[in-house]
Order: sequence, then structure tokens, then C-alpha cells
Amino acid sequence: MLPAGCSRRLLAELRDALDACAERQRQLERSLRVSRRLLRVWEPAETPALEPTPGPDTNEEARPPARTPSPQDLKELELLTQALEKAVRVRKGLSKAGGRDEAPSRKSRSIVSPATTASVPPRASGQAGRRASETKPPRGVRQTTVPAKGLPELRLLSVGDQTCKARGAQAAKPEPGLRDQQMAPSAAPQAPEAFTLKQKGILLRLPMAFRKAASQNSRLWAQLSSTETGDSMDATTTAKTQFLRKMQSGWPSSRLCAAEVEAEVGRLRKACSLLRQRMGEELTADPVDWMQEYHCLLTLEGLQAIAGQCLHRLQELRAAVMEHQLAPWPEGRLPSAPSSCGGGADSIWSPQLLLYSSTQELQTLASLRLRVAMLDEQIHLEKVLMAELLPLVSTQEPLGPPWLALCRAVHSLLCEGGEHFLTILRDEPAD
Amino acid sequence: MWPQVGRRGPSREAQKAPALWRLLFHVLSPRPADDAAALPAPEAQARLVKSALRSQGYPRPALVQLPEDGSQGSRELLLALSWLLARGPLLERLLAQIRVRLGDEMPVCECEVLASPGPPAPRVEADGCVDIRHLQWLMGKLRFGWRNLITSQQEHCALLGKVHSYTRGCHSDRSLGHLSVTEAELLRDPEGGRQLLRRLESENARLEAALEWRRRELVFWQWMDTVLDACPPEASQPTFLPRIPERGAGELELVARELQALQEELQAVVETRRAAWEARVGGWGPGWKATQRASEEAVRQELTALQRAWERGGGLAQPHGPHRLVRSEAGTLGGPGLRATEVIKALRSQEACLEAALRQLQGQCRQELARLVGALPGFIWILPPGC
Repeated sequence: MLPAGCSRRLLAELRDALDACAERQRQLERSLRVSRRLLRVWEPAETPALEPTPGPDTNEEARPPARTPSPQDLKELELLTQALEKAVRVRKGLSKAGGRDEAPSRKSRSIVSPATTASVPPRASGQAGRRASETKPPRGVRQTTVPAKGLPELRLLSVGDQTCKARGAQAAKPEPGLRDQQMAPSAAPQAPEAFTLKQKGILLRLPMAFRKAASQNSRLWAQLSSTETGDSMDATTTAKTQFLRKMQSGWPSSRLCAAEVEAEVGRLRKACSLLRQRMGEELTADPVDWMQEYHCLLTLEGLQAIAGQCLHRLQELRAAVMEHQLAPWPEGRLPSAPSSCGGGADSIWSPQLLLYSSTQELQTLASLRLRVAMLDEQIHLEKVLMAELLPLVSTQEPLGPPWLALCRAVHSLLCEGGEHFLTILRDEPAD
Repeated sequence: MWPQVGRRGPSREAQKAPALWRLLFHVLSPRPADDAAALPAPEAQARLVKSALRSQGYPRPALVQLPEDGSQGSRELLLALSWLLARGPLLERLLAQIRVRLGDEMPVCECEVLASPGPPAPRVEADGCVDIRHLQWLMGKLRFGWRNLITSQQEHCALLGKVHSYTRGCHSDRSLGHLSVTEAELLRDPEGGRQLLRRLESENARLEAALEWRRRELVFWQWMDTVLDACPPEASQPTFLPRIPERGAGELELVARELQALQEELQAVVETRRAAWEARVGGWGPGWKATQRASEEAVRQELTALQRAWERGGGLAQPHGPHRLVRSEAGTLGGPGLRATEVIKALRSQEACLEAALRQLQGQCRQELARLVGALPGFIWILPPGC
């Protein structure tokens, strides 16, 4: 059995580590639940109101009053109808084949895609605008889609198909065009089908209100992050500095506070690991000539000097802590800076982008990050265990089986990460 | 909050102080408390505020002497709040903490994760001794936990990849290109989407208020100056509560021990090498002095650069903080943003460093244990294979 103090400290460390791991797992599970649900079939009540007219909102204000289609419009509509009829044919062929083939659907999609994207050459956007204006009259048809109950697109497709073929330059003609754009990539047109992200994800459009709020949000964050230098900002900074000075006046500011001590100890820990890393590099380097050898020697001497300085600083800090009995923030885990990171870039408050090109890459990145965190923790635990257990082995004198068991356990924990055990054989002299 | 603070009056004194204690508590908490049930009582909050301010070096002793029931002291609390505001970008930091996250974010470093731990689980303080086997069991549990974590993370990444690729071209923002899980979720669940929109709009209102505050800030500081002047001069010496920091001292001792060990190692190596060098160089002429000085200068510069890596304000070359994931096939998006390949490279070198450090520590332990048990005759120690 381990002594009480040692037990308490080690248990606290290990339980902290286990708690942190459990918390990460909980957060990950939450995200997994959400993502899994997104990739399943969306419940009918949740089917999104697929925007029937992508890009009409930009044209909403500039929408011209409804007018009779011009000859050019008719010609364009004719072309569009032909393209869409072809798409319907292709799709029917696909559904007969019973499989989903990406290529034809992509092709049919590409036919109509120039007309769907909002940021397009003026001709197409004009087309979209006019189409939008022309959808105004057939309100009855439109109404059935917006509430998004069940699968409205299919009903409209059959309506649209007929109007497509039967009618000429009717105001309702644009409708099937739009519906068909949505239907183009889907595979099973006959039965009303549930919404899945895989099949129809690209048709989704964010609601206008949200888009506005999001762009305003990023604009405001950019404003907040910008470091404006102007007379007003300078005056404010001066006022702040003056205020701080006044607050401090009368009390010696040379006294360190616990937060600063903690920060410095963290920096010195980082220093130690960097120094050690550099020492390792110098010791394993193979100098080819005397100049390199001398360089190596000087570096090692320099490292020794720096290590001495760091140690001295640490001893100063220790004295300050003892003298003033500085107490750190008592509740919960101390937010200590990890050894692998530098200070925070506090001038950038909104997240920047991280571009990845494949799922494999993303997985590699994520697992590396976790591995670095795990190694950090392992190193910390190793140091703590070393500090607590090695003295036990050396001070426990009774060399009976309990001590042997302790040695074996300590060896396993400290030298093998708890994964392997050594074997101890009693060496009986053969008589 | 700020306009209310401006309207001070003696009749409001009784209400001001408790509100300010609460505000300071929330500002100073390591992690914003999500559920009201976890909040400590007002007196406890006040004590924690005092302790936190002291540990950050708050210079005025009057704060420590304030009663914790919130009956008085609103002026001192206001000064404390202003002190925190003046020292750093407090407002921006708080806003960033509660920011609405619209994208799928992944931290590229570990700072945030460690800085916001979950609420400490209620610990049953077992004062008894434990067997080392219990520790071994806990270590095994931890290893298993990490393995689970990595597997779950892989699945999560796969799912994210799918969502991102299925929604290509949907986003109104061209630089993003696809929807994030949050955005897709708001389309799937309109009610949730409405809530998200409300949160976004209220955040926008907060940001605008913050910008407005920035424009008027000077007036606040001028006023605080007068408040400070109106305070009675401090007479008594600060009395610090004698509490021995447990964890803080532990960390310090660990680092001290490491540095000590490092210095001793370096000393040993340097002594032998210097002696060998002097023996060789003894007979060399003055011509080599110039090269000697050049070498010294080069080494000095290298070591200064090394020192910068841990000095205050240095070492920002590493990618830091949460980043919004954006899927772009084979670099089609040439816009601004961190590339995953760079982060992977940085992480791999970090991994190698840490692995080397861990191996080194384990080797140290092996040597130490061998020394401790080596003195003992009569036993054969068979190390596990692979050593």
C-alpha cells in the first residue's frame, strides 16, 4: 500500500486526467449525435423549404413588374424546356436501370446550374429575375410548396411536365423549370421520397434572414478586431494607463501575483524542454571539422548558461511564493498553459479558416492533435509518478515480496507506460 | 450594463454591490457557468472574486476588507472592474468566449481545451491509502479512454467530411463553399434554426454595443479617474490570507527539478568536451582567434533566437486557436486560411519531440530503477521483450 499523501496526490492527478478525457468524449458524442442525425433521412416535418427560386432575393427589390414574355424570353424558355425534357428522359432511364449514376445527373445539373447560381453573368441573372417575376402570378402552385409538407416537388413535377409539354409561352412555364432543377439530381422520381443530405444536399439554401445576420456578424467581428489607431484610441489608451498607474500608486508593484508566477513557471517549463531538445540535437550531431566541433561546444556551454539563468529565476519565484504565500485561483483546475503552445493571439477574435482537401487529411489532422494532447498528458503523468514513486522504491527497506511487487509495478508504470511487465526470478544458488 | 453603472446614487447602494460581485464572479470564472445550479452562494462568490483578484495582483487592499454579504463597497468593486478592463481586452475576450459558432470548428492547438475544463466532479476525498494496483487500473482506464476518443474522433471527421461534400456550393459565402453541421442543422430543424437566428441577432446587438462602448470609452475613464480621486486614502497595510498553494508549488518544484537535472547533465558534458578541446587547441596560433569570435557570435544569435521561443510575447509562429473547417478539393479555394497540410506538418514535429521526451524520461526511470535494485543480489530481472 502506498502512503496516504502519495496516494491522495496520485489519485487526484489520475482522476483529473480521466475527467478531462470523459469530458472530451462527452462533447464528441454530442457532435456525433447531431452529425449522424443529419446524414440519416430527414423526417418529413423537417424537410426544408427548398428555395424554389435560388437567387430571387437579390433580385427581389429590382424585380420588374410582371409583363408578358418577350420573344427572347420565349426562345430561352424553349431552350430551357428542351434541356429539362432531356433531363427527365435521362432520369427516367436512370430509374429504370435501378441504380444511381452520378455522371448523367451531374450533366443535367450542369445544364441548369448556370441559371441557378446567384453570382452569374448578367444574362442568366436577368433570366432568373424574369423567371422570378413570372412566378408571381401562379401563386396557387407556389403555395403548395412553401409549407414543405411531404415532398411537394414531385407533385409539381407532374404538373410542370404537363404544362411544359402542353402549354406554350405561359406564365406557369417557369415553374417546372425551377422544380426540375431541384429534381435533376434525384434518382427515384416516381414515389415521394424522403430527404437525405447525400442526395439533395446541394439544393439547400440558407434562409435570407440567417444570411443577413451571419454577414452582419462577421462584419461586426471584423470591426471589433481591427486595431484602429486614431486620436480617440490613443487618448483612451493613455487614460487607461494613467488609471492603472493611479490604482497602483502607494503599493510596491514589484510584488508578483500568483497568476504571473504561474505564467512564468509555464514559460520556464517550456524553456526546459526546448533546451533539452537542443542539447539532444547537439549531442547526436556528428561534427565533420573542428569548426563545427567548436560551434557545438559553444552551444552546449551557452545552453548550460541559459539553464542556470532559468534555474536562478525559478528560485527567485519560489522565494516570492514562500514569502508572500500567494494563493492561486482555488476552484477547479488551474488553467495552466500547455507546454506546446505559445501565448494566445488575442487580437483575432473570430475563427479563421482551416482548409482541408479530403476526409483522410482531416482524420490525420484530428488524430495527430489528439496524439499530441495525449503525449503531453503522458509526459506530465510520468513526471508526477516519477516524483512520487521513485522515492518509495528507494526508501522502502524491507526487501520481501511486497517490495518486489512494488518494484515490478513501478517499473511497468514508469518505464513501459503500464503496458508491459518484467519478470523477477529468484536466483537460487544451485547446491 | 454600462449606462446603469453610470447612474450611481446613494439610494441604489444596496443593490449595486451584489450585482457587481456577481458580475465580477462571472468575469473571473475560469469557465462561464452554464447552469445556475452549479453557482456557489453569493458569499462564496465574493470570496472567490477576492481570491482571484488578489492572485492577479489587484493593488488595492480595500477590496479584501469588503464584507462579503454585499452590503457595501460598490465603489471599490467598480474600481476592480475598471482595473480588469484597463489591463487587457476583457470585453473582446468575454464576447469571444460566448460567441455563436456557425462553422465546424477544430482547434489546432490544445490551449482552449485545457483552459476550459468541465466542472470539477464532486470528489469523495478518500484519505485512505491505495494499492499500486489501483493506480495501474486507473492508468489502463485512461489509455482505453484515449483509444476510444481517437476512434470517435475519426468517425466524427468522416461524418463532417460527408456533410461538407454533400452540401458543396450551397453557401452564400463563396469563400466557404459548403454548409457546416450547424447550418445544415438549422435547415433540418426550423425551430432550432429560429433559436440560432435569435442567438445570432442578440450577439450582433452585443457586438454593436461593444463598438459603441469603444467609441465612448474615453468618457468612462475620465469619470473613473474622478471616482479614484474621491476615494479616501488607504492607511492600513494589506493583510494576506496565509494559504499555501498546493498545485502551484507542485508545478514549480517539478520544473525546478527538471532544470536542475538538465543543468547537471549539461555541466558534465561541457566539462569533458571543454577539457578535450583545450587539449587540442592549446598549441594553436593567434590566427584562429577571428574564427573563434565569429563562432561565438553565431552561437549567441542562435541561442537568443531559441530564447525568444519561450519569452513573453514570443513564439506566435504556431497556429493557434479554433479554426473553421472548410473543405476544398485539392486547393481549388486559393483564399486566405490555414492549410491542413501545414498544420499536420507542425503537429508531426511536435509529436516527434514529445515522443522523444517521453522516451527519454522512461529511459531515465529505467536507469534509476536498475540502480536501485541492482544492489540487490539474488534476483534476476527479466525485462519485457523490446527493451
